[in-house]
Amino acid sequence: MAETVYFENVAIGDDIPVLTKGPMTTAHIVRWSAAMENWHKIHYDWRYATEHDGLPDVLINGSWKQHVLAQVLSDWAGETGWLWKMNFQYRGMNIPGDTLFAWGRITGKNQRGNYGVIELEIGLKDQNGKEGSPGTATVVLPLRGGPAVPYPFDPAALN
Amino acid sequence: MAFDELVNHITPEVRAVIGARSDWQEAPHPVEASEVRRFFQALMDPNPRYWDDEHAAGTRYGALVAPPGFPVHAFRRPADELNDSLAAAGDPDFDGLSRAMRPGLPKLPIPLSGILNGGYEYEFYSYPKVGERIQCRSAYLDIYQKQGKAGPMVMVVIEDEYRAADGRPLLKSLNTMIMR
Repeated sequence: MAETVYFENVAIGDDIPVLTKGPMTTAHIVRWSAAMENWHKIHYDWRYATEHDGLPDVLINGSWKQHVLAQVLSDWAGETGWLWKMNFQYRGMNIPGDTLFAWGRITGKNQRGNYGVIELEIGLKDQNGKEGSPGTATVVLPLRGGPAVPYPFDPAALN
Repeated sequence: MAFDELVNHITPEVRAVIGARSDWQEAPHPVEASEVRRFFQALMDPNPRYWDDEHAAGTRYGALVAPPGFPVHAFRRPADELNDSLAAAGDPDFDGLSRAMRPGLPKLPIPLSGILNGGYEYEFYSYPKVGERIQCRSAYLDIYQKQGKAGPMVMVVIEDEYRAADGRPLLKSLNTMIMR
């Protein structure tokens, strides 16, 4: 597993490790749709997606993309930190053939109580560098030599 | 277009459901190991906290867990729900989904057929554990109209609170759905 990330190790402007998914295929899309029992035809019915809905192709599920963002952040936070907040907008569509790169950049850090609170800009870019799911996130990290981030996480611990 | 611009979908009936909050609803079955496996395999997230008993026992969660956003998908078709939503699949306009926004919330009396997911704001508190039941309650926090390029759009802001059956908070989400 990844090494423990402490508040003191993090600097504004740092990038967290990028998580790559793909190239994505229709098989990946239908595997996710089946696991979620999501029968929306824009994910598997090419004729419906393109002719009825006017889309460029069947679409990679937005529901899948959100968990990729959660994964890149919780992988970085590790078992001693906590992904507290994450928000994003669905701005761009992704289709079979796309490779997606989940990324995060540190935009702020503050000590609150005995813990470190890290603000990040996040997103999911395609192979052409186009951003489709821009957002922000907040991750809580332990201080070096400080107590573990409480689990279950309680925001009141930061006061 | 001129007429479209005048349409106000935020009628008194729609205004009356702003603030409506459902009772706590319980997912039809407990979190299943195989359901979690299909989730993390399709996500391509092989973290051992989701599948390695020995590893999970040594973490602060104490047992196998599901990914943090899993509760959002816990409300599946119950075994005793005999109405098959795919019964309408022969209709060329059927998109595969029903129009109900959330279980336990009133349907929206808005005559717009297109629906888009605008995005989410999440707050995470804990992971769901394999074997436990997930509960959710939802509210229409806000419903308002915006003028889009192709006509009016109605923004529906839904708050969902998820907890484990023992009361432990799991996550909270604000979801903006766009009807147009």
